[in-house]
Amino acid sequence: MKFLSKLAAKNLFRNKLRTLISIVVIAFAVMMVVVLRGFVLGMIDSMFELHIQYNSGHVKVIREKYEQKQRLLSLNYPVKGFENEGIEKMQQQIKELSEIKETIPRIKFGAAVSTKNKLITMMGWGVNPTKEVNFTDIEDYLVAGRMIKEGNKEIAVGTDLLTKLDAQVGDKLTIVYTTSWGSFKGSTVKIVGELDSGFKLLDEKSFYLPLSQAQKMLVLPDQATELLVETNNYRKVAKVMPDLKRLFQSQGVADDYLLKRWDQGNSIIQYLQIGRKIYNLIYIFVILLACLVVINTLLMIVKERRSEIGMLSALGLKSREILILFILEGLVLGVVGSFLGVIGGGIATKILSIVGIDYSAALADMEAELLMRPIFYPQFKMSNLIFSFILGVIVTTITAVIPAKKAADLNPTEALRN
Amino acid sequence: MNLLELKGIKKIYQQGQVEVPALRGIDLTIHRGEFTSVVGPSGSGKTTLLNLIGCLDTPTEGKIFFDNREIEKLSKEELALLRRYNLGFIFQEYNLIPVLSAYENVELALRLFDDIKEIEVEKRVKNILEAVGLADFAHHTPGELSGGQQQRVSIARALVKEPKLILADEPTANLDSKTSEEVLEVMVEMNQQLDTTFIFSTHDPLVWDYAQRIITLKDGQIAEEKSS
Ligand SMILES: Nc1ncnc2c1ncn2[C@@H]1O[C@H](COP(=O)(O)OP(=O)(O)O)[C@@H](O)[C@H]1O
Ligand SMILES: [Mg+2]
Repeated sequence: MKFLSKLAAKNLFRNKLRTLISIVVIAFAVMMVVVLRGFVLGMIDSMFELHIQYNSGHVKVIREKYEQKQRLLSLNYPVKGFENEGIEKMQQQIKELSEIKETIPRIKFGAAVSTKNKLITMMGWGVNPTKEVNFTDIEDYLVAGRMIKEGNKEIAVGTDLLTKLDAQVGDKLTIVYTTSWGSFKGSTVKIVGELDSGFKLLDEKSFYLPLSQAQKMLVLPDQATELLVETNNYRKVAKVMPDLKRLFQSQGVADDYLLKRWDQGNSIIQYLQIGRKIYNLIYIFVILLACLVVINTLLMIVKERRSEIGMLSALGLKSREILILFILEGLVLGVVGSFLGVIGGGIATKILSIVGIDYSAALADMEAELLMRPIFYPQFKMSNLIFSFILGVIVTTITAVIPAKKAADLNPTEALRN
Repeated sequence: MNLLELKGIKKIYQQGQVEVPALRGIDLTIHRGEFTSVVGPSGSGKTTLLNLIGCLDTPTEGKIFFDNREIEKLSKEELALLRRYNLGFIFQEYNLIPVLSAYENVELALRLFDDIKEIEVEKRVKNILEAVGLADFAHHTPGELSGGQQQRVSIARALVKEPKLILADEPTANLDSKTSEEVLEVMVEMNQQLDTTFIFSTHDPLVWDYAQRIITLKDGQIAEEKSS
């Protein structure tokens, strides 16, 4: 076996050009897989993260009835704590459960500003600034001014919205809205920050307001429209669900409240998760294409070495050993090619993960609801390199069985006849 | 003692619709230590006969006993093992592996043995290369050796296993007459020193003289048999 491996390795030097071509083809395919996978994982994960940060949390606590009216930004079904004693206490109780890191309350509400000739509608985010900064990357998007501070009557506004309002940081603005009682009111707030996130929803429609101010203005004392729960690992959210459900059951509000996992009840996220699996097939397919070259090379080799194969069986190699010899040649090609491919792909993704790929143009016409970053950074991950390497080696080795079988099945007398 | 016994061997090749009879009834006994030559014109069935004796193929009719074992009864795996431990082959084209040195080409035969020690391998390969006069060329690859030297490597590869029988199919056909004689002398010497049984085929009358026993084939049958 050791000798066979040595022979297989040496055999690759017999026709250096041919070996080189096979290796380059495999390397190229594996490199493509590394980059493509880094790209896909990066894109999907970044979409997951954005969805979690600005939409779903790891788990979102809302009222059952709010679910249907969510798009209307209704204030009629707020989260108001167990036995209506407020979200402060509710948050404490949730945080006492294991694996729970933080709770993030939000009030999302509709508001408007009337300018000289038109009415501009907006979406207000009543948030706890500290928690928001910790949970999301909103602070990174500040292009002017500062983030809002708890207690102050001030807002941070999306950059495109600010342009529409014809206002700038430092200006005062009077916004109008409907309170939870249904009365129509107006408040004047100061613009302290400008946000340029690249997400249409935030940039064109949204402004951030301290939660306490929102509660006061909208008459939602110690209430929020949604309460996001952050766990220690969003991929393991299933683990905390039983505890959470038990808490809501023990408080007798299980029917009233809805506990929504980030990965459920959202079709885009579910498609993305299926997409991830489909992409695995695409990676295999890419390498299989490269393997056509390898199979062809090995078939040529088998044909050329007929009499040698005959000699080897005369020497007493069993057909299984001849099979192994040729599979080993495929394996060596696979290992060397995949290794080079992983290095090339690793370098390429590393560069792309720093430079980023700008596809804001492609996103320009997309819906505002879809959270996607306009500049996208493929992920450079060791696990991606290892995955691609192993995939490359396995697929080439398996396909090498076809020519190897052909060699092993050769009748020795036929093989020796010239 | 008999090493090999062939009884009523027939071999018919199927070439599409046509049946090509290569051997038409061969009875033959080979004794241990014999140095036998199978001669005959091209197409007379020499290669076919050697392949059957070498357990590389099975006869259409008849029985072959190798070392009192009926080879028809052995599985493919068992035949491979029988070749591995008992038979050595020398080919007209040498069939050396171009990327291995002379030493490694010879070593290859021993590496297939299950229970052989490293020192033993080294000792045997060195000794046999010296015996065939290639001690100084151990690390040359076949491309760096002359035809005669390559054939001597292939003789060493067959001999290193110390097999019961060595089969050589036209081992000198690619060599000039002087080199042919040298190669045959090596074979004769090995036959005498190690008492290895040899069967070689040739259509070159010059080479006949080396054999103790000459079997002449014609149209797949034994036309004449001579012992000296
Ligand atoms: N695999 C085969 N298929 C068909 N015919 C064959 C095959 N091998 C040998 N023959 C035929 O059998 C006869 C004997 O061939 P062979 O044993 O090679 O003779 P020699 O070695 O004496 O030249 C020839 O007529 C040859 O064409
Ligand atoms: Mg022949």
